[in-house]
Amino acid sequence: MNLFRESELIETRRHFFGRAAGGIGTAALASLVNPNLFADSSAESPATGGLPGLPHFAPKAKRVIYLFMSGAPSQLDMWDYKPQLMEWFDKDLPDSVRNGQRFTTMTSGQKRFPIAPSIFKFHPAGSNGTYVSEALPHTAGIVDDIAVIKTINTEAINHDPAITYIQTGSQIPGRPSTGAWMSYGLGSLNHNWPTFMVLHSTVNGGFGGQALYARLWGSGFLSTRHQGVSLRSTGDPVLYLSNPNGMTAKMRRRMLDELAKLNRERYAEVGDPEIQSRIAQYEMAYRMQTSVPELTDISDESESTLKMYGDEVKKPGTFAANCLLARRMAERGVRFTHVFIRQWDQHGNLPRDIRRQCGIIDQPCAALINDLKQRGMLDDTLVIWGGEFGRTVYCQGGLTKNNYGRDHHPRCYTKWMAGGGIKGGVDYGKTDDFSYNVVENPVHIHDLNATILHCLGVDHERLTYKHQGRDFRLTDVHGKIVQEVLA
Amino acid sequence: MTRVIRCCFVVTVFVGLTSSSSIAADKPDFSRDVLPILSENCFKCHGPDGNERKAGLRLDQEDAVFAELDSGATAVVRGKSGESELIARITSGDADLKMPPVDSGKKLNKREIQIIKQWVDSGAEWAKHWSFVPPKKPALPKAIDGWRVSNPIDLLIHDKLKAAKLAPEGRTDKETLIRRVTLDLIGVPPTIKEIDDYLADNKPGAFERVVDRLLQSKKYGEHMGRVWLDAARYADTHGLHLDNERQIWPYRNWVIDAFNKNQPFDQFTIEQLAGDLLPKARLDQRVATGFNRCNVTTSEGGSIDEEYYVRYAVDRVETTSTVWLGLTAGCAACHDHKFDPLTQKEFYQLFSYFFSLTERAMDGNALLPPPAVKVPTPDQTAELADLNKQIAAARAEVVKIVKASVDGYKDPTPDAVLGELQEEEVTWFDDALPEGAPNEGNEGANSWKFVSAPDHPVYSGKKSFLRKATGAGITQHFFSRVKKKFKLGANDRLYAYVYLDPKNPPETIQLQFNNGTWEHRASWGADKAFRAGANNASNRVIGKLPEPGKWTRLEVTAASVGLPAGSELQGWAFTQVGGTVYWDKPGRLSREGLAEDQAKSIAVWEQYRKKVKTPALPKPIQAILDVEAAKRNDAQKKQLLEHYIRNVNPATKKSIAGPVQDEAGLKGKIDALNKAIPSTLVMEDRKDKRQAHILERGEYTKKRDKVSSAVPAWISPQVEGSPENRLGLAKWLVKSDHPLTSRVTVNRYWQHFFGTGIVKTSEDFGVQGERPTHPELLDWLAVDFVENGWDIKRMHKQLVMSATYQQSSRVTPEKVAVDPNNRLLARGPRFRLDAEVIRDQALAVSGLLVETIGGPSVKPYQPAGLWKPVGFGGSNTSVFRQDKGEKLFRRSMYTFWKRTVPPPSMSTFDAPDRETCKVRRARTNTPLQALVLMNDVQFVEAARKFAERIIQEGGNSEKDRATFAFRSVVSRYPSKSELSALLSLYKEYSTEFKATAGSADQFLKIGESARNEKLDANELAAWTMVAHVVLNLSESVTRG
Repeated sequence: MNLFRESELIETRRHFFGRAAGGIGTAALASLVNPNLFADSSAESPATGGLPGLPHFAPKAKRVIYLFMSGAPSQLDMWDYKPQLMEWFDKDLPDSVRNGQRFTTMTSGQKRFPIAPSIFKFHPAGSNGTYVSEALPHTAGIVDDIAVIKTINTEAINHDPAITYIQTGSQIPGRPSTGAWMSYGLGSLNHNWPTFMVLHSTVNGGFGGQALYARLWGSGFLSTRHQGVSLRSTGDPVLYLSNPNGMTAKMRRRMLDELAKLNRERYAEVGDPEIQSRIAQYEMAYRMQTSVPELTDISDESESTLKMYGDEVKKPGTFAANCLLARRMAERGVRFTHVFIRQWDQHGNLPRDIRRQCGIIDQPCAALINDLKQRGMLDDTLVIWGGEFGRTVYCQGGLTKNNYGRDHHPRCYTKWMAGGGIKGGVDYGKTDDFSYNVVENPVHIHDLNATILHCLGVDHERLTYKHQGRDFRLTDVHGKIVQEVLA
Repeated sequence: MTRVIRCCFVVTVFVGLTSSSSIAADKPDFSRDVLPILSENCFKCHGPDGNERKAGLRLDQEDAVFAELDSGATAVVRGKSGESELIARITSGDADLKMPPVDSGKKLNKREIQIIKQWVDSGAEWAKHWSFVPPKKPALPKAIDGWRVSNPIDLLIHDKLKAAKLAPEGRTDKETLIRRVTLDLIGVPPTIKEIDDYLADNKPGAFERVVDRLLQSKKYGEHMGRVWLDAARYADTHGLHLDNERQIWPYRNWVIDAFNKNQPFDQFTIEQLAGDLLPKARLDQRVATGFNRCNVTTSEGGSIDEEYYVRYAVDRVETTSTVWLGLTAGCAACHDHKFDPLTQKEFYQLFSYFFSLTERAMDGNALLPPPAVKVPTPDQTAELADLNKQIAAARAEVVKIVKASVDGYKDPTPDAVLGELQEEEVTWFDDALPEGAPNEGNEGANSWKFVSAPDHPVYSGKKSFLRKATGAGITQHFFSRVKKKFKLGANDRLYAYVYLDPKNPPETIQLQFNNGTWEHRASWGADKAFRAGANNASNRVIGKLPEPGKWTRLEVTAASVGLPAGSELQGWAFTQVGGTVYWDKPGRLSREGLAEDQAKSIAVWEQYRKKVKTPALPKPIQAILDVEAAKRNDAQKKQLLEHYIRNVNPATKKSIAGPVQDEAGLKGKIDALNKAIPSTLVMEDRKDKRQAHILERGEYTKKRDKVSSAVPAWISPQVEGSPENRLGLAKWLVKSDHPLTSRVTVNRYWQHFFGTGIVKTSEDFGVQGERPTHPELLDWLAVDFVENGWDIKRMHKQLVMSATYQQSSRVTPEKVAVDPNNRLLARGPRFRLDAEVIRDQALAVSGLLVETIGGPSVKPYQPAGLWKPVGFGGSNTSVFRQDKGEKLFRRSMYTFWKRTVPPPSMSTFDAPDRETCKVRRARTNTPLQALVLMNDVQFVEAARKFAERIIQEGGNSEKDRATFAFRSVVSRYPSKSELSALLSLYKEYSTEFKATAGSADQFLKIGESARNEKLDANELAAWTMVAHVVLNLSESVTRG
C-alpha cells in the first residue's frame, strides 16, 4: 500500500491550506501525521502547496497586504504636486496636452475642460522631501519607508474594466486575480488559514460607492481553491463558521469523530484517496472554528498599538480595524490579504470627500507600516496602496475656487509600495505640469504586477497556467520589473 | 491605447501529454505523435500566424513543409532525414542554427527528436490534425472472452485495456448502480422504494427499465439543462458594474423543456443560435435564442458604445466556438491563431454573425434590455383574450348609451348665458394608480396598497389606499411619473381625503407634489417629515393633524407650495411619520367649474369652453369650436354634440358611469396581467447590417479590412445555399459531416457520465488540446450520434447501458499504478457530486424539495450581508431579500445567480461564476465545503426534516430508522459497524439533548419550515444529528 500512501499525500498536500497532514486531528489519519507539524499551530510554517520550482529565486517578501482604494483616488490632491497649476485656474486644458486621449462619456459632452488646481497644500516630507498633501499628515510620516510611484498607467477608463484589469491582468472577466495567482504559485504559509483573504471596509459606518466583484478575488480558470476568502465584520467572520444554535462544540467534536470513523471505514472498503482528503478537510474546518475567532478578537493588542491605528480600530469593519486584522493575518501566515475601501470616485465635491476619505485611511495606513516595522515584519511583508486609475486635471461639472470634481484619467496616477523588497524614500516617475502625461519612467499596471511578483521571488514570465491550449500569465505578454523601486 | 482584447500565449516548457499512447516503434502517427511536438515547440514562429512566421517556413501545412524554402533547402524530404533541413536544425550542435532557439525557452528532448526523425524516414506521411478530419466509424474489435460487453463502447474500451494489461471490473452492486445512474440522469438520489423495486426486479432488462423511467422523468430536463446553463453562461444579473437584475429565465425553461422532449441536438443548436431567423419563427424558437443574450453586459457611466459592441460579439464567438467547435477562437481576435489554422480574418468573419444585433451597447441597467419578447403561459393568453372581450363589450355599451343620448338630446336652455364660474372638483385618481404610474415607496413596487370595505374605511369608489409605517422614521409611497400629466388651473387647490387609524395615529402626514421636482410639500401635525423646520413652498406647515377615526379633506392652495397656474403634476407622494393612514380620492379643486344645471346645455358649455381652455380639448373638437356656430357643417355639429354628450352632459355621464368604471377596472386588470407576463431577452438582427472589420490587436479603434459573415471553410465548407447569417452558421455547425460538432458534443456527454472526457480538454479540440484517450471510441460515438438523428436521450442511454459505465468503482493499488486517473476505465468512475446535486439531494431526502419545474429564479437562504459590502448603492441587487416558503426549497438550478456575488454554497463547491462559458467544472475538496455541509441553514434544516421522515417512515425500531436514514442517502444498506455507529450516536445525542434543557428546541428552530410538534423534541433532535452525519459522509457527496 505504499503507493497509496504516496497518492494520499499528493492529493492532500495540494489542498487549500497546503500540507493537509498538518491540520489533521488525532481522530483522523493518525498514521499519517507527523507530530512535529502540530508544534505551533498559530504561527507561520514553511510554504506548502505551491508549484515545484517556486519561488524562482530568493524572495524578499513572503506575503502581501494590498490596500485597495476603489473608485480611483485623485493623484492631484494627494501626491502629484503641481503648484504651477494655480496660474491655470479655469483655463482650458491645452489640446496639445490632451493629445488624443479619449474622454469618458461622462465628460465628453462638456463644452470646456477647465483646469482645477488642487485646493490642498502640499508639504515636503521624509529625507528626500517628497511632497505630500496636507490631507495625509500621518502618511507623510512614513515617506522614508515607502516608494511613491507617480506614473502608473492603464488603458481602461471606467471602473469595472479598470479594476478587473489591475487585479486580473485583463479588462474582461475570466482571469485569476493576483491573490489567486500567488496561492497557486507559492502555496500556503500556514495550516489554519486560507492563503488569500479579503476584507471590505465601511465608510462612515456603511457601504457604498463603486461596486466590487467576486472576480477581483476569484480564481478564474485556476482551481477554485485559490479564490480569496472574505473575512467579514458582521455575522460569521468566515461563512458558515459557527455551529448551529443548540449544537455545542462537544457535540460537533463527537459528530466529526464519528464521521471520520465512518469515512475511514468506507475508505478501507473502496480505497478512494479523496475520502482521506475529505477527512482532513473536516478537521481543518473544525480548527478554523477556533482559529478564526482568535484572530478577530483583538483584546490581546496593547493600548499603544490600538492607539496607533486610531479610535476607529475598535469598530469592526472599519478600514482601521481591517488594517490591524491584516497585520494579524500576516503574523499567522496568510499569504495575500486584500483590504478594500470604496468611495474614492470624486466626480464632484472632491475637496470635501477626499478630506473625508483621507481622514479614514491616513492614520491606519501609517500605523500598519509602523506596526509591521516595530515587529520586524516590514522586511518580508509587501504593502501596496492605490486604486484602479487616476483623475483628470480638468474639472468635471462646475468649477469654483473651493469646489470641483474630476473625471477618470488612465494615463498617470500614483500608488505607493513599501516593505519586502521595496526601497523606502523613493519618489519615482515624473508627470507633466498637468499630471496628465508621463514624462519620465512610465509604470504600466502590468509592470506593477510584475514587480509585485518579483518581490515574492516569482518571475512573472514563468508563473503560467495552461488553459484552452495557451499558457496564461498575470501580466499577459507584458510587464517589466521596476528596478528603481527595489531595495 | 484602447485594447479590447488582451489575449496571448506565453512560452514555457511543456510537460508531455498524458494521453498519448504507445508509439509504433518505427512509424509514428503524424497527427497523434508528431504534430503535438511541432505545435508546442515550433508553431510560434512556423505556424499558422502569418505575422510571426520566420524564414518563410510553416510546419502546419503539407505543401509548405515539403516545398523548397527561401534558403533553397527543404524542410522535410520524405524518407530522407539526412536531406531534411528540419532534422539538421533540430539536431544541430551549433547554437546559432539549433532549433528551437535557446531564447524561445523551448527544447526538444531525445525522444521527441527521435519521433520526428522516424516520421521523416518512414515516409513523412502527412495528416491533418485529427479533429479536423470528419469522423468515420471504426471497425470494432472482437470481444474478449469473459469480459462483459453490452454495446460497442465496451469493445473499444476493452481493446485499450487489454493493451495496457488491465482487466475491467465486474458489474457493481445494484444499489450502487441505481444511485449512480439516478444521480447522473436526474440529479437526485433514488428513493428507497425505487431501490427496492429494482432490487426485487430479477427479470432481464431490470436496469434498462430503470434507465427508461429516469429518461422520462421531468427532472432529467432540469439536470441536463443545468449542465448546459454553464456553457450558456446563464445568470440572473447583467454581470458588469451595477450588476442589476436581468430577466431571461424563460430561456432556462426552454432548455429544460428541450431536454425533456428530447429535441434532437441539431435542432437544439439551430434554435438557440438562430431560432429568430427561422421562417415563421415560433415564440419558443425566439426564446431559445436567449443562449447568446446570456453574456455579461454593462451600463457603466462613461463607457463607450463601440467598445462594448465589440466585446459582446467577441464573447459570442468565443462561447459558440467553445461549445460547438471545441476551439479556442478567442486567440484569433488579436492575431492569427498560434496553433490552429484559424486566421484573424476568419475570426472576424465569425464575429460578423454576432455584430449586428438590435441590442444597445449599454444595457440601461434594465430588467429587459431589448430585444425582448413577452412569453405568456397558455392560461395567460386565454385570460387576456377574455379580458379583451369584456372590455370591448363595456366600450360598446358606452357607445350605445352615448348614441341613444345624442339621438334624444334637446338643449333645455339653448339661449341661456354662462354668467359666473363655479367651483369644480377634478379627481386625479381613485381606486387605482393613474395610468403609467409606477408603484414606488419604502417597500419598492409593493408600496401602494389599495384596500376595500368592509375591512377598511373607504371614502370614495371601491377602494382607499393604506399605509402602515415601516419603522420609526419617514414612511412614504408615491409615483414619480404618469402617462398623462395633471394640469393645474388658476387658483386651484389640491386636496386628498385622509383617515387616521385611531389605534395607531401618525405623528406627521405630508403631501408632496412633483412637477419635475419634488420641492412642493404641505405638512400636518408634528413638523418631522421632509424639510422639517422650513415653512415655505418646499414645506408648507398647514396645521394640526385631523381627528383620527374619520375621513377629513386636506386642502392646500397650489400656489402656496410653488405650483402656479399651468403647472403640470407628474407625481404625488404620501408621507407619514409613524402610524397607520388611509388616503382616498386625491384631486384638485378648480375655481373654473361649470354648475351641473349649466352643463345640461350644450350652448352654455360652448360659452364656457371659450372662456376656460383647460384641460385642453382634443384638437379636432377645439377646431370645430373655433368655427363660428352658424358655419359648422352637419358632420362637425354631430361630432361636437357627441363629444359634449360623452364627456359633459350630466345625465349621460351618470348612465355611462357603470360601464366606464367597468372599462377602467378591466383596463387595470389587463395592465396587471400584461405586467405579470414574463419577458425574456432574445436575439434579433438589425435591418441594416453593421459592418465588421478586422480589428488590429483586437482594438475596437483600429479597424482594418472589412469582412462579412462567413464560416472557416477549412473546417468544413458552408452548406450550399444557406443564408449569410446566424442561421447559415447554425446549419453549418450541424452538417452531418462536420468534423467537430458531433465529437465535441458526445465528448461532453462522456464527461458527464464518466467524470472526464475522452478528450480531457473538452473545451479545446485544437492542436494544443489533449488527444483523445480513445479516438476510435470518440469517432464511433460521434458518427453514431449523427446517424441516429442527434438523438440525445438515445446517446445518454447508450452510455449508461455500457458495461463500462456499470463497472464497480473500487480502487485497487494495481490499477492505480498503471492508470492513476482511471482514463482507461478499468474501473467505474467515481467523483464528487456537483454543488447543485449536493443541495438537491439534501432537499430531496428531507422531503422539502419542491417538484415544480421552471419559473423565475428564487432566493433561498444565504448568509446576511453578502451583497451590500460590494454592491453599487444604486444597484437593484445591492440588498439581498431572502424568499420565503416554497421558494427556499426549489432545485438549485433555480437559485438567483448574481454574477458579482454568486451564491456562496454553490461556488464553494466549484460552480462556475457564469461570467464566461464553461464546459468543464473543477472538483476541489476544501474545508470551506465542510463548513457549508456542517453549518449552512439549508443543510441543518434539511437534516431536521429528514429526521422527521426517519421517525415517521423509517419504521419503529431504532435499527430500522438508522437503516432508513442511511439508505435514503447512499442507497445501500449500512454495514454492521456503520449501523452500530449510527445507533450509538443516536443514543448519545438523545442523552445529551435531554441533559441540556432547551437545547433540542433551540436546535430544532433552525430553518423556516415548520417543525412537526407531535414528535418528541429530544428524539427528533437526536435523529437530526444522525441525519446530519449521514448527509456529511464522504460517500453522500460522491457518486461512486
